[in-house]
Amino acid sequence: MKGIYFSYWLLGLMVALPSWAKTIPASASMGVEFELPQVEASIYARPYVAVWIEDKKRQPVRTIQLWVGDDEWLKDLRSWWRKVGRDDRSVVDAVTSATRPVGQHRFTWDGLDQQGNRVEQGDYIFYVEVVREHGGRNYIRQKITLGEESFDLQIAPTEETGNIALHYQLN
Amino acid sequence: MLNKKFNAVVVMASMLVGLTLSSVASAHPRWVLPSHFTISKEGGDWLTFDVTASHGTFVMDKPAGSETAQVVMPDGRKERPDFVLRGKRRSVFDFHFTEEGTHRVQINGTPSYVTSYKAGKRDTQKRLRANKVERVALLPEGARDVSSTLNYTRAETYITVGKPSEKPFPLEGKYLELQPTTKPADIVATEPVRFQLFFNGKAQAGVKAEITRDGTLYRNQQDQIDVVSDEQGFIEFTPEIAGRYILKASHRAAIMNNPLAEKMNASVHLTFEAILP
Repeated sequence: MKGIYFSYWLLGLMVALPSWAKTIPASASMGVEFELPQVEASIYARPYVAVWIEDKKRQPVRTIQLWVGDDEWLKDLRSWWRKVGRDDRSVVDAVTSATRPVGQHRFTWDGLDQQGNRVEQGDYIFYVEVVREHGGRNYIRQKITLGEESFDLQIAPTEETGNIALHYQLN
Repeated sequence: MLNKKFNAVVVMASMLVGLTLSSVASAHPRWVLPSHFTISKEGGDWLTFDVTASHGTFVMDKPAGSETAQVVMPDGRKERPDFVLRGKRRSVFDFHFTEEGTHRVQINGTPSYVTSYKAGKRDTQKRLRANKVERVALLPEGARDVSSTLNYTRAETYITVGKPSEKPFPLEGKYLELQPTTKPADIVATEPVRFQLFFNGKAQAGVKAEITRDGTLYRNQQDQIDVVSDEQGFIEFTPEIAGRYILKASHRAAIMNNPLAEKMNASVHLTFEAILP
């Protein structure tokens, strides 16, 4: 009886093993093109922006970009603050930078999680939250699959975001 | 002669009491509204609080005081607000929050007592502002169906600095209390919220609660959510729209072994925000 259970367990392990133990290739990374659109407004302030990755269990994996001048306003990135920021001050200190002007921006995610480990292959969600004072808020979620195949993805513009393109590359 | 005069005074006094009681009967719910519910600034920040009593959510109306206001710090100790102002239609206080975790801001009442009884040939229902002991001297001869009720209301809200505390605050074990099973900083529009209600320290079934979103002045319907606590005292509801809400829970029950009252009418008025999903 015990032996049967054990072999089921072993079988389960063998089936599960490839999906949870295999990390993405060492050279894999994801380039992001990110546009802040021109907005006609009587009072324009550069928006606060958070870009982060969560796994399929909706656990935060890595905050890639955080453009907020003063940490007093971190809470205005409501979802990022609740899911990521409030729980780990070191993330804020590690990644925060000044707000950015209208135009095209580029950055790259190195495929590492917040602890510096290469992430496992599988499904993830790419999040963008943009909040502008005297303006609006947009919250974007895009499912991505990180494996051994490269991909290019376009995310449709919103009021507060222009073109966003993701380029997952293996080398 | 003297006796007659005394009677006149009693009649006058009870008329006056009657007048003040009529406002008790349609009591305006007391509540607190913070300027913010969440602080992300390193080293903390100042928040300001309005305290008033009104029928509208959130409309300033009656001059409820903030003299009893307390901030329960994440470690459970209680602090007093830094500045308190009293206006004609609200009171205001400010507090500098510096410690990480969940704080409860409370403006609790003091127990007040009302004695109701029937008197006269027509069985007129009457009320006195008196407890079991005080009523002995005040009740007219032949008063019937006499009972005294203890009224107690908690007006409270939660402020979260950085990471919310793991555990809710321990119960005081008195009157009606609400424990936020869903952390106040985790209330998100479209997601279910779960709270637990306790009466005199025990999980209480059958507590009625109504939850109303900000802005009743600007819509035709209250759009309130009505819930009743289950066997373990839990209520569950889903705020569909992000915004500020008031939850008014109340429970009325007979109480034993209280020297001042036979019944208790206890309420919790909790102000919270449901953030954008």
